[in-house]
Amino acid sequence: MIQPVLQLKNLSVSFDTPNGEIEAVRDVSLSLNKGEILAVVGESGCGKTVMSQSVLKLLPKTSRIKQGRIIVDGNDITDYKEKQMRKLRGSVLSMVFQDPMTTLNPTIPIGKQITESIIKHNKISKELARKRALEMLDLVGIDNPLHMFSLQPHFFSGGMRQRCVLAIALTANPKVLFTDEATTALDVTVQAKILDLLLDIRNKTGISIVFISHDLGVVARIADRVAVMYAGKIVEIGTVEEIFYDPRHPYVWGLMSALPYLTKEEGNLTCIPGMPPVMLDPPPGDAFAVRNEFALAIDYEKMPPMFQISPTHSAATWLLDERAPNITSPLSLKRMAVS
Amino acid sequence: MNPKAMIIKKITKRTLGLILTMFILSVGVFYLARLAPGDPLQSFYGDAVESMTTQELDAARIRLGLDGPIYAQYTKWIGNASQGDFGLSLKYKTPTLDVVSPLIGNTLILGGTAYILVFVLATLLALFCAMNEDSLFDRIICKVGTAAYYIPPFWLGVVLVLIFSINLHWLPSSGAYDIGKSGDILNRIRHMILPLIVMILSHLWYYAYMIRNKLLDEVRKDYVLLAKSKGCTKTEIVFKHCFRNVAPTIVSIMAISIPHVLSGTYIAESVFNYPGIGALSVQSAKYHDYNLLMLVVLITGLLVISSSIIAQSINEVIDPRMKLTEVSAWREKTASSSS
Repeated sequence: MIQPVLQLKNLSVSFDTPNGEIEAVRDVSLSLNKGEILAVVGESGCGKTVMSQSVLKLLPKTSRIKQGRIIVDGNDITDYKEKQMRKLRGSVLSMVFQDPMTTLNPTIPIGKQITESIIKHNKISKELARKRALEMLDLVGIDNPLHMFSLQPHFFSGGMRQRCVLAIALTANPKVLFTDEATTALDVTVQAKILDLLLDIRNKTGISIVFISHDLGVVARIADRVAVMYAGKIVEIGTVEEIFYDPRHPYVWGLMSALPYLTKEEGNLTCIPGMPPVMLDPPPGDAFAVRNEFALAIDYEKMPPMFQISPTHSAATWLLDERAPNITSPLSLKRMAVS
Repeated sequence: MNPKAMIIKKITKRTLGLILTMFILSVGVFYLARLAPGDPLQSFYGDAVESMTTQELDAARIRLGLDGPIYAQYTKWIGNASQGDFGLSLKYKTPTLDVVSPLIGNTLILGGTAYILVFVLATLLALFCAMNEDSLFDRIICKVGTAAYYIPPFWLGVVLVLIFSINLHWLPSSGAYDIGKSGDILNRIRHMILPLIVMILSHLWYYAYMIRNKLLDEVRKDYVLLAKSKGCTKTEIVFKHCFRNVAPTIVSIMAISIPHVLSGTYIAESVFNYPGIGALSVQSAKYHDYNLLMLVVLITGLLVISSSIIAQSINEVIDPRMKLTEVSAWREKTASSSS
């Protein structure tokens, strides 16, 4: 069996605040294979970012990993201290952030920001690092890298800056790249180019990518597998086809029916009523129950376990229990009506 | 416009601004000094003025240029001043330039040393506090620093003299050097220690706190997260990344602070009877020594205004975003290369 590059086992992350404990990530388990792109989707505040930052241990001191293990490349890094993490960051785990306008240091030339990362992880001369940085700029599609090398970020457009951030994240050949809404701040054409670039880099280097997004269209284009998060938990996980064509969790039904159909004129867009819960005091049962029109009595009382649907597909909803009533997904009804 | 012409234009603009400000300053001080109650002849003749006849007093006024309306006196003064003749000191009865010139050096040595020490120490302290934010050490320094800043400098001076000069006999209580030892550097340093302590304690925390907070703002920015995910250590992030972005602010603060530190020098000079322009300016105002006051004010004004101009120029070098010429030059370059 191939060993996964990244494995989370029952990971829970909490923040200690003056008002009490906020359970941002609850009991998340997933694994990521080499060369795979796993998309993590969900509403704002559902714990996507906290989950990814907890792997790199970038979270502030008020947070703590309550339980679970993080296994990277076969090594359990859950209890790694800052010094050990520093060696992993950049070289094994890397991250691209949402807003390219603020993630680069405004006063340091782009080239220097890239070489810094190279010299950090490989003991090579400045000259070689410079060569490598120029290659990276070329790889991410910056024209005339020799000229751009010595310029500060304010000479670059948003898309170019995100390419530079990618170059920084990729220079030390990491095994896992987290992209935290990396294309959200860009306009659609630039977004499409960055997505192509990510796919291209994946095919060339075999890097695994955790692609955090709330844009389902983007996810459909890039991901191999999709994990849907709600209130800090993964409610459904499966391949792109399974999630988009055969979702089982009522929340994912809601998400999918909220996608507009461009082929047919519709009235108002469908939306999921209500708001996601505040994680200060999460409900004992399924957190989605209060917004769920198909909620069963047990949804309010007991947390649903993960039901295996296929080897790659599982969902956490009581509707999949054998005792549950048989409910047809409203999504398939809607799709039928459209076609 | 080519960059060279722009630089020349900028220099002329700033020089004209400097001259205009100095002119307004001289008019203001000239009027204010003469409108203040008191008789300059009192300081010229001492108690003898009481036994002088009205004719003698009038004759003296005409001889000293103190007759006629103020604007007429001003035209006469500025005519002489533009030829380098700043008149006679009414108290010392010698040309004002001769009174001031031996003292400028003393003030510049004391003020300059204090200025450099204040900012070197403030920056170090701020870096240290920002590195260990909210640690016990940081909190103690914050409290002690604030308390030290609010100790009145004149009171502190007197207490220090009492302890170190009168009780312990370690350090001299006044003067810039012992008689006949003006070239002895060690002797000068011994005389400067107490004034320097007063000046540093009364300025240090004010600036250290400003720089500390500026650094803490920087530490919370997005690019720090990227630097961290590259594998940089905290020290590298604070010193290499954040400090670079704070440096222009420090330079601006340093420029703005020159009047503040200079006025501190004046206080320290008065308390320790240190022969400098500060003590002189207090005396000249007290004795209605108009000509001396004008010269001291002009020198102080020139120091303050020119330092702010220099600071602006240094800022442009550190942070090229403040400079317009480079951007336009770059645009021209790219436009010509792409066409």
